Amino acid sequence: MTVLNALISDTFQEARARWLFWGLFGLSTLLICIFLFVLKIDLVAGAISIMGIERTQHALDITRFVRNSYAFVSVFLYVWGTLLAIFASSGLIPSVLEPGRISLLLSKPITRPMLLLGRYLGNVLVVALNDVYLIVSIWIIIGIKTGIWERRFLLAIPESVLMFAVLLCVVVLVGVIFESAALAVMVTVGLMFISTLLAQRAYVLKMLDSEWSRNLWRVLYWIVPKVYDLANAMKQIIVFDRQADWWTPIWTSAIFGAVVLAGAVRIFQKRDF
Amino acid sequence: MNAEYAIETDSLAKVYRTRFRGRQLRAVSDVTLRVPQGVKFGLLGQNGAGKTTFVKMLLSAVHPSAGSARLFGREASEPEARRPVGYLPENHRFPTYFTGRGMLDFYAALSGVPARERALRIVELLQLVGLQDWGDVRIKKYSKGMLQRLGLAQALMHRPQLLILDEPTDGVDPVGRRHIRDVLNNLTGTGVTVFLNSHLLSEVESFCDYVAILHKGTLVLEGKMSTLLAGRGYRISAAQVPENALLKLRSLDAAIASAGELVEINVATREQANRIIDEIRAAGGLIESVAASNSSLEEVFMRATAVEKAA
Repeated sequence: MTVLNALISDTFQEARARWLFWGLFGLSTLLICIFLFVLKIDLVAGAISIMGIERTQHALDITRFVRNSYAFVSVFLYVWGTLLAIFASSGLIPSVLEPGRISLLLSKPITRPMLLLGRYLGNVLVVALNDVYLIVSIWIIIGIKTGIWERRFLLAIPESVLMFAVLLCVVVLVGVIFESAALAVMVTVGLMFISTLLAQRAYVLKMLDSEWSRNLWRVLYWIVPKVYDLANAMKQIIVFDRQADWWTPIWTSAIFGAVVLAGAVRIFQKRDF
Repeated sequence: MNAEYAIETDSLAKVYRTRFRGRQLRAVSDVTLRVPQGVKFGLLGQNGAGKTTFVKMLLSAVHPSAGSARLFGREASEPEARRPVGYLPENHRFPTYFTGRGMLDFYAALSGVPARERALRIVELLQLVGLQDWGDVRIKKYSKGMLQRLGLAQALMHRPQLLILDEPTDGVDPVGRRHIRDVLNNLTGTGVTVFLNSHLLSEVESFCDYVAILHKGTLVLEGKMSTLLAGRGYRISAAQVPENALLKLRSLDAAIASAGELVEINVATREQANRIIDEIRAAGGLIESVAASNSSLEEVFMRATAVEKAA
């Protein structure tokens, strides 16, 4: 446990020293401030007041309005937070593989999977802390402003952390093979977009003319992490309070992450440094 | 540690393959080496001779293509085999966000040293390497010599039984070099095996009591420094000496350099020379020449690395 703690703490220290930690928190704080500012604008405050009045006349449902706002904000934070976290952590794997640094780490009585796992968990923890800070702050602000405390909004925390943890596996794999932070970002963000595109299968499958291409689309859809589907599931849960299928995007994404991470560990074990 | 040798390798080899063309580059070839416990052993070789690759195979940073390596009798690939090892790499890159104290603490934690012991040991070692006033300063402010000394402290943090130093004084000024040498000399008699990897002959000559020379990835000479540098000794050239006979000769305090079929054996005394000749002939080997020698390490090195050309 001492070894794992040391590796996680080292990742924290590096994230702090490279200003990634503070950068993430700074940008989150900025977003919180912007959010506070937006809620202070007369138009928004007015809309909220009007809906409060209208509510008594049963013309508009303020609860539904707030839930919609919550859903919108949660998706925004999920995308924003995940992208930001990927940019922030892309360099943390290649940096540890620098010659002269990795050979010393490997000379210690620790296994290579442990070394990679410590680095990975450290990254996830840095981002998880930031997600908690950002999402809980926004939740408190909306709650104070509207008096409606929508606890399901907090689902954005595990959702964002899970998706980041899955995408970080791709960052680790690319980092271990190519030792390039820029390439890791390109591949991971590209995967997010591809995943979003593949998730539009309901529309796309109708347009594809061959069974072969439709099957290929389905296979690819099931392989890649479900970035879009997870956001959609959370939105449905918050807005409609109904039982959306959140389990499928979670387990398929988790399997993808586990396979990619296992591949990264395997390659890392075989490499010479 | 119960094992007789701190380091044992058998026919250890590393062949790198280029990524696209698959061309083979032989970095280390068939190195069989025994480093007894408690000695100061120097591995010499020109730049690119394969010294660092050899060390990295011992530490499992590089996977051998063939052969095996053991540390204190354990397979070097086992993480536990590296627990009694302290290592200072060549061209190290310690994370610059650490303070000296933080860096020592981190690497010692990876070696499994408990937190309380780390705290005490850090103070002790910063004092030993003369960095007691620099412990709380970020290491990006350290000079090259200070980094080397800190690296040495890092290697000593967990009280290792084997200290592997890869070019420890490279790029260090004479004062820093002296300081490092003093720290290493303090280890004499403590039972710690020091494995010094260097291309600096004088450094190895002044510090080590065993030496081996790698040339183009091949072990061309190994033996006791006192034997090699005996003011007056004997050099025996022989051919067709079987491998098992060479193993026996090594145990007779002979320094052996081999290239192809030809073997060159250096001994310190006339009695040893006669015994070696008897052993070679008994094993079916052929004596090519016997000559009196008067060597410095530089001469030994030049001759060992030139044997291949001559052969």
